[in-house]
Amino acid sequence: MPTDIFGALANPVRRRLLDALRAGPESTSRLAAMFELGRPAVSEHLAVLRDVGLVREERRGRHRFYHLRADGLAEVDTWLRPFEHYWTQRLDALADLADLLDEETSRDD
Amino acid sequence: MTTESIRIDRLLPHPPARVWRLLVEPDLHARWWVAGDVQPVVGHRFTLDMGGFGPQTCEVLRVEHERLFAYTFAEGVLDSVLTWRLEPHEDGTLLRFEHSGLDLATPAGRQAFEGMGRGWPAVIGRLETVAAP
Repeated sequence: MPTDIFGALANPVRRRLLDALRAGPESTSRLAAMFELGRPAVSEHLAVLRDVGLVREERRGRHRFYHLRADGLAEVDTWLRPFEHYWTQRLDALADLADLLDEETSRDD
Repeated sequence: MTTESIRIDRLLPHPPARVWRLLVEPDLHARWWVAGDVQPVVGHRFTLDMGGFGPQTCEVLRVEHERLFAYTFAEGVLDSVLTWRLEPHEDGTLLRFEHSGLDLATPAGRQAFEGMGRGWPAVIGRLETVAAP
């Protein structure tokens, strides 16, 4: 299961789902019909997109609708946040390794 | 074509030569990010093994030794550019990272930029303030 934005965007079906949601919110069953996929498969892809913050879920009675999280001022940074989060983590790792190399170097001395 | 960027600055208590090695030496690169046959040579094409995102094709665009390293990132998927700038600083190195070209031309980017309009300057302003100690 992808845990970051790149994992979420890796899958062509998920990219097509994002594209389909540009026109407005859709239910799981409508999306499944559009993509000629089983509902469980579509639900799984939507869950991945939801977990990284690219879509949000809305319950309407027995149905779940999915919205792009890019549909207004308040949502703007929601799109960038997964990238920002990802890169912040990577830069943390880079900084840690730079520190570690310092220690390795001083041990070698 | 509208493109936008993620920018993150980091002040690292290490000389630029040290930071540079982390960016351009495959063995070190794999330890903080992912494996890939990265090389600081303009025109060099390489792949970064991005786990579930798959191997992503990159091409080196600019190299200024211990100052700047830029390459295309994820051709055909994000079609974006990663730029690493290293500025000497009294406390070490100011590392300025930019992921640019997140744009309307990619399926993932197209949907995201719809309807965002006037939101961008504020977002970029906020991102520019993101800087770790």
